[in-house]
Amino acid sequence: MNRGLLRLLTGGYGRQGLWLAPLIVTLLLAGFLTVRTPDFLRTENLLNVVAQVLPIMITAIGQTFVVIAGGLDLSVGSLISFTTAVLAMDGPGYILIPAAFAFAVLVGLTNGLVVTRFNVHPIIATLAMQYILLGAVRLLRPVAGGTLPDIVLESVNGAPFGIPMALIWAVVAIATAWKLLYGTRFGLHLFAIGGGTASGNEQAARNFGVSDKRTMVLAYVISSCFAALAGVYLAGRISSGDPNVGLGFELDAITAVAIGGTQLSGGIGSLPGTVIGALVLALLSNGMNLTNISPFIQTAIKGAILMAVVGLQSRKKMGL
Amino acid sequence: MTAVLNNSIVQRLLRVPPAYYVFTILLITLWVYRPAMLNPNVLGVFVRQNAPLGVLVLGQLIVMRVKSIDLSGGGIILLVNYFISSGLFPDASLAFFAAIALGTGTAIGLFNGLMIGKRHASAVIVTLAVSIMLVGLVQFLSSGKPPGDVPSFLNDMYDTKLGVVPTPVIFWAFLTLIVAGLLSFTVFGRFVDSVGESAEAAHFSGVPVERTVVLAHTIAGFIAGLAALVQTASIAVGSVRVGLDLPILSVAATILGGVVFGRGEGGVWGPFFGVLSFTFLFVVMTAFGVSDPGKLIAQGAIILLAAIFYGVRLARSR
Repeated sequence: MNRGLLRLLTGGYGRQGLWLAPLIVTLLLAGFLTVRTPDFLRTENLLNVVAQVLPIMITAIGQTFVVIAGGLDLSVGSLISFTTAVLAMDGPGYILIPAAFAFAVLVGLTNGLVVTRFNVHPIIATLAMQYILLGAVRLLRPVAGGTLPDIVLESVNGAPFGIPMALIWAVVAIATAWKLLYGTRFGLHLFAIGGGTASGNEQAARNFGVSDKRTMVLAYVISSCFAALAGVYLAGRISSGDPNVGLGFELDAITAVAIGGTQLSGGIGSLPGTVIGALVLALLSNGMNLTNISPFIQTAIKGAILMAVVGLQSRKKMGL
Repeated sequence: MTAVLNNSIVQRLLRVPPAYYVFTILLITLWVYRPAMLNPNVLGVFVRQNAPLGVLVLGQLIVMRVKSIDLSGGGIILLVNYFISSGLFPDASLAFFAAIALGTGTAIGLFNGLMIGKRHASAVIVTLAVSIMLVGLVQFLSSGKPPGDVPSFLNDMYDTKLGVVPTPVIFWAFLTLIVAGLLSFTVFGRFVDSVGESAEAAHFSGVPVERTVVLAHTIAGFIAGLAALVQTASIAVGSVRVGLDLPILSVAATILGGVVFGRGEGGVWGPFFGVLSFTFLFVVMTAFGVSDPGKLIAQGAIILLAAIFYGVRLARSR
């Protein structure tokens, strides 16, 4: 294959990473499903895909901020469950929704401060937070149940002007993240911090005047807030609070981020990549359901795709 | 405050892995409030339950010392459990199952190592992807149902004791001794230390960095195969969920034992006591009637405090 094309496909140019190859995979997958199953292009099915992918996509978008800066957030799954439990506390929406997001900010702040001020590795800090939140949510709501504020149910299940809410949620989440990542100095600083970490010089961004610790803390806060947003959406979908609904979400989110070409060493990645990564997961699941392929082999294929994407990328840093 | 922190005795105390403090505090708590729980037979049962975790930690600490991580242990345990309990090999001997387990673990470890060491792929993603593939494969092969029963001789072995000490605990301690020897007295152990400190400096000093990382992961896979044998013997039946939480727990126990990515000051016995601390935490909490959510919160808080303790000390040493 032409060397230049290979470099383009494997993200050899620039900081956007490997997003073109996953996009081609997505298009091929969509094309295959269109030809193979007539049901795929039906509006109901496509809306179903959007509704299915949304929680993972929102969580993965938040995770992208942390990963680009060279961190990792394993606490998002438990935070999603916690958010659904808070919303199902049978209280008014104007109290419960701000309370859920205030708690998410607190979790993000704690993660960020522990990582930056106490030199704790992100995997360790957020893993500990995952345990703490998992315990807390099981104390708050041992089994699924509770009543949600009406506003949560309406904001998830309605269709104003015929536009499904899931689509509106997706546009708002992507637009907000786009503005933060590509339209602010903060976004640029995230790439600078991650680039320094990936090349083995963690002080690089700071030497250029970037407030690296504050930026990292903010990245963790954003990740938590997006997780809480996913929690609000999921709570509306299942119409209850569930202590187990977020289990494994952190790994799915990391999978989507990695499939989208964002490198875990930091500095390289993109928002479109993450959205494509989440879409690949959703299309895979939806397409295999439509073609009656065993759900168990879907898991194995998801792992294989993740491995293939990681194998395609080359990076200097070895290890985590 | 600064004067206190700079005191040589305080400095020395700060260098002790958090696991030893946690273990001591939990032991004293039991001794004072629930002395009956210190009965060797009772403790033996609790410690034996964590033997698979203890064995898996030995592999985790080796890869963490070369600034890597292995999350594929759960998948290896699941696959080995399937091989043993699915009836694929009726009337097979212990040696055959051991060979299957060790071969599977070593092959997967080697694959992880090659992807991470040679291809420089992210260790988190590679080992996570391997685990996802293995879980999917086992669930596909078994159609999502528990495969079957484990041959009785494995469970019989698991139930044996030497004096009051259960055999799995002796096996775990023996393996810990071997890994301690491997890291302390061999060239490979020196290589692991130098790669963990600085892969670049190690490379320029003539250390085969890539080969060391590949070997570390291969050994971790081999050890995961052993952990799979112990875990399968302990539950005595086939399962499609067994051991999936062990890799993350093994990371937590290793950190508690004073081994953090690239730095191995806790040695091998630090993580050993990290696993024992988790065991004793469970015993203490059970003795005091703390619920399962409370145990999770305590576990998370201890990991967090241990990591902060270590992080603060590291910052001071720079």
